[in-house]
Amino acid sequence: MKHLKAINNKARLLDKAVGENRVEEVVAMSAIAGCAATVDPGWEVDAFGGVSSLCQPMESDLYGCADPCWWPAQVPDVMNTYPDWNKDATNSREDWRNLGSVFPGDKL
Amino acid sequence: MKKTMIGGALRRSAATLACLAAGALPAIAANPAAAANESLALKPGNEYLMVANYPNNLNVVDLASERVYKTCTLPDAFGPGTTQIAPDRRTAYILNNRFGTIYGIDLDSCKLTFRAEMSQGDNERAKSIASFTVSPDGKELYAVQNPTQINRDHYRVGEPRFAVYDTSAGLEAKPVRMFPAPRQANIMQAGDDGAVYLAGPNIYKVDVKTGAMTVALPIRDWQRPTHAPLDVLYIWPVQTPQRDFTLLYTTAKFQDDKQDMASAEYQYGFLNVNLKSGETEAREFGPLTEIYFTGLRSPKDRNIIYGLLHRLTKYDIAQQKLVQAAELDHTYYTLLTNQAGSRLYLTGTFNDISIHDADTLAKVGQVKLPGGDMSLGTGQVFVR
Repeated sequence: MKHLKAINNKARLLDKAVGENRVEEVVAMSAIAGCAATVDPGWEVDAFGGVSSLCQPMESDLYGCADPCWWPAQVPDVMNTYPDWNKDATNSREDWRNLGSVFPGDKL
Repeated sequence: MKKTMIGGALRRSAATLACLAAGALPAIAANPAAAANESLALKPGNEYLMVANYPNNLNVVDLASERVYKTCTLPDAFGPGTTQIAPDRRTAYILNNRFGTIYGIDLDSCKLTFRAEMSQGDNERAKSIASFTVSPDGKELYAVQNPTQINRDHYRVGEPRFAVYDTSAGLEAKPVRMFPAPRQANIMQAGDDGAVYLAGPNIYKVDVKTGAMTVALPIRDWQRPTHAPLDVLYIWPVQTPQRDFTLLYTTAKFQDDKQDMASAEYQYGFLNVNLKSGETEAREFGPLTEIYFTGLRSPKDRNIIYGLLHRLTKYDIAQQKLVQAAELDHTYYTLLTNQAGSRLYLTGTFNDISIHDADTLAKVGQVKLPGGDMSLGTGQVFVR
């Protein structure tokens, strides 16, 4: 942590926990607060640093990521925030052109 | 604690983008569910596969004819479509409505017989992350709920709770008991002795009367000087014919006590609780060369384990060796088997079930479901 500087409250709390040797108590939340089931970056690279182990085709993985709020930066969160994002595309392989972008103003 | 590089990398792969689709397909409206067969009763002795899909269906596939037997239209919203079959093989329980509600569906009539909201208060939003199952006598249903209080100006994350429901409580079921649950609790299965095995930071054995939890199999707490800490991804509570509750994990085996990750050998392993006997097992079964979302032990040969994601594979557990692999039309998430262990059913993702011979792994059939994607949903195979 010596090369990182905390710039928000959460990071400062983590710094404090490190200072008190309590970092092992800092674990991820399991609750879905807003939308972020994980803090993973997303569909850029597979486990081996390449792309060959990514889901094929990508549509096969689309709703598996949107439904559980897995990667909300890449796919709208249909769990909480944009439940109707894919209402016109229930079959992702055939209907993917009906999927659009979402913006905070669209929030229900 | 030693940190493994592979942990984050594997989680990144958990659902992954290959590339944008090359073909430009015309947009087609979603297929409506074939609801005309909702009143068809299931036939005693027949083997079925049930699986949910978009827009919000529960399909029952007859495995002898490999055809969709009936399709129930479900209430509210889809997602995740995780199912559990009751011990009487008449009631299907399904977590749906955006992870917020568990329903009981009478499979003969498609009628709703049970409904439990995960949220317990007006300003509470609770979700269950595929974390529910039914007791061996069918009288109780268990769910871990992760509540968040939605206040006007802030959210407050609550403590997860293990909720117990009476399955005869009808459409406004409320918990009859509640206990604290560990954070990051995930899938669960009930043992024949009535205890519940709950996968979370470890696999816990839960006394459903008192809420007492003991570690049945360590995951986070499995510290081996010879191996890196485990990485586990599992959200598919498959009810297997041989009553094995199986989760896959990855790890790295060190060459020596220097614990050098650069020279470590990456391995796949499984955690297994036999729900009949309570016997637990954790061991590696082969080198880590590709990713699997689900694995399944053969009902015919306990030395065989299958893996599924981009390929369907077969491993000899004792030899820790990949013995067979089949290329697939596309990625599938969830692997199911028939009772005899002769057929494998590849489910999840799109709306087709791929059927494979369990010995040769050759594709021998396909069932296309009315409607859209199965997505993350977990199907089940059972005999009425």
